[in-house]
Amino acid sequence: MGIRFKPHSGAVLGYLAAALVMVYLSYSLPMLLPGDFVTAMYSGSDVALSSEQEAKLRAFYTGEEGFGGYLLDLISLQWGISFAYRVPVSTLFLEALPWTLLLMGCAHVFSVFFGFIAGVEAAWRRGRFSEKAGVGAMTVLQGVPEIGSGVLLLLVFALNLGWFPAGGAETVYSEQTASVKTLDLLLHLALPLTTLFLAYFPGNFLLSRASMVMILKQRFIQTARAKGLKAVRVRYAHAARNALIPMVTRFGLRFAFMITGALVVETIFSYPGLGTLLFNAISMRDLPLIQAVVLISSLMVLAVNLMLEVAYSWLDPRLSDGF
Amino acid sequence: MDFETLRKLSRDPWFGAGMAILSVVAALILLGPVLSPYDPYDMGFRPLSPPSSGHWLGINDGGMDILSELFMGLKNTVFFGLIAASAGLTLGALVGLSSAVAGGALDRFLMRMADIFLAVPPVMVLILVAAFFRPSPRVLALALAFLGWARSAKVIRAQARVVNGALHVKAARRMGGGRVYVIARHLMPEIFPLYVIGFAAQLRVAVFMEASLSFLGLFDPSRKSLGIMIHYALRYYYMDVWIHWLLPPVVCLTLLIMASTFLAVSLEKVFDPRLKETV
Repeated sequence: MGIRFKPHSGAVLGYLAAALVMVYLSYSLPMLLPGDFVTAMYSGSDVALSSEQEAKLRAFYTGEEGFGGYLLDLISLQWGISFAYRVPVSTLFLEALPWTLLLMGCAHVFSVFFGFIAGVEAAWRRGRFSEKAGVGAMTVLQGVPEIGSGVLLLLVFALNLGWFPAGGAETVYSEQTASVKTLDLLLHLALPLTTLFLAYFPGNFLLSRASMVMILKQRFIQTARAKGLKAVRVRYAHAARNALIPMVTRFGLRFAFMITGALVVETIFSYPGLGTLLFNAISMRDLPLIQAVVLISSLMVLAVNLMLEVAYSWLDPRLSDGF
Repeated sequence: MDFETLRKLSRDPWFGAGMAILSVVAALILLGPVLSPYDPYDMGFRPLSPPSSGHWLGINDGGMDILSELFMGLKNTVFFGLIAASAGLTLGALVGLSSAVAGGALDRFLMRMADIFLAVPPVMVLILVAAFFRPSPRVLALALAFLGWARSAKVIRAQARVVNGALHVKAARRMGGGRVYVIARHLMPEIFPLYVIGFAAQLRVAVFMEASLSFLGLFDPSRKSLGIMIHYALRYYYMDVWIHWLLPPVVCLTLLIMASTFLAVSLEKVFDPRLKETV
C-alpha cells in the first residue's frame, strides 16, 4: 500500500532536477528585478568599480553570458563580489564553511548516535514507565524551536552563570598552546551544539523507537530469542540494524527543516559559520553574497541527500521498491 | 469523522494539551486589544523603561509598549501560519486527488514534480525571494505553501488510490457515478484524517519558518512578529531587559510550536495508525 515508484531513479532525478531549479532561480531572479541590478546594487556602496569590472558584473548578473556561462562561473568559484565586505564571495564562503561543517557535523553525529541508542533501548522497554516518560519528554522537546532553546541556554549559561562564552567560535588575538586552544574551541562550541542537539535528538529518538517497535514484532526476532541469544545481541545485531534504515530515509525529508534551525542557532550565538554570514549579508542587503550563500549551501544540502540516497540503496537492496 | 475517533481524541492527553494551548493563544489574540489598550506602533513612551502598572512588560528601544507588540506579533505569526498551512494543504489535496484519480502520464508527471519540490530546501528559496523582492508577508506565506505542498500531495495520493480501489467505490462507479461524483462523495470525505494531520504538520512548519525568517531580518522591520521581537530584544540582551522583553515572545513562540506538534502527534496516532507506515 506504500507509495510505489520506480527505484531510486525517482528520488535521484528529483535531487538533480532540484539542483538545476535552484541554479536557474538564482540565475534568473536578479534579471526579474526592475531596473539595472548592477547600478542599483553598487552605486550606493563605497565600492569603486572600474569599467571593466562593471561590465563583468553586469554580464554575471544580467545573464548576457547565458545559462551555460553562469554554470561555468559557478563551477570555477566565481560567485561575484560582496559589496559589503569588498572581497570575492567565494573567500567569505570558504572562511565560514569549516565552522558550519564542524557545528552541523557534530550535532548530527551526536544526535543520530545517541538518539538511535536511546530509541532502541526505549522500544525494548516498551510499556514500562521509563519508556513512557522518555517518549513524553521527547515529544515536548520536539515542540521547542531552536530560537526558544537557544535563547534560554544563552541567558542561563552564558549570561547568568557565565560558564560559556556568549558568542564567537574562538578567543581572538590570543597566543595559546594547542591544548588551551582546543579547550577554547570546545567551550565556544558547547552552547550552539547543545541547542542543535536538543533540536535533533527527539526526532531521531522517536523515529528509531517507532520503527524498532514494528521490527520487534516480527518473526525473525522471535526466532532469534528462541535460539537463546543474549538480549543485547538480539536488540542490536538483529533488530536495530533494520531500524537504522527508516532513519536514513527520513533524514532527507527532515534536513530542509534542520538547516533553517541551524541558521538561527548560528545567529543567536554569533557563531562565524554560513548562517551568521547570511544573516550579516541580509542585514546589509548584500545581494551578491545572499545569492551565493543560498545557492551554494542548497547545492550542498542536495549533494548530501543524494549521497545518502545512494548509500542506503547500497546498504539495503530491498529499498529499491519503496520510499 | 465518527463518534469513536472523537472519543479517542478527547481522551488523548496530547490532543487536550495542544487544544488547551491553542485556545489560550486564540483568547490572547482576541482579547489583546482589550488587555493592552496601546497602539503597538505608538512610539511616544520612554524607551527601555522597565515594567510598570501602565505597561506590564515595559517599553522597547523604540518607545513602543511591549505587551501590545506581543499581541500584535502573536496575531501576525499565527495568521501567517494559517494562510500558509491552508493554502499548502489545498494545493496538496488538489494535486494528490487528481494524481490518484487520473493515473497514467499526469500521475507520473505530478509525482516527479513532487520529488523535485521535496528536494528543494524551502527556506533557501524563501530567503532568495524575500531578499530580492521584499514581498508582503502574505505573499511569502503563499510562496511557502507553493514550496511545501509535495508531502501532503504524496500522502493524499497514496490513500486516495487505496480508497479508489475499494469495493464500495467500484460499486459506486458501476452504478453510474462519474469522476466528479466519486471524488466529491467518496475520496474527499474518506481521506478526511489526512487533511487534519497535514494541516497540523504544515502549521508547525509555517510558524517555525515565519519566526526564523523574521528573526533573520527578512521581513519589513516595522512589522510586528514574534521573530522580529526576539531579533530586537537579543540586541539588548546584556541589559536587564530579558525577563520582560526577550522571554515573552520566546515563550509564546515555543508554546505555539509545541501546541501544533502535540496536535500533529496525537492526530497521527488516533486516526488510522497504518498511515504512519505509508510515508
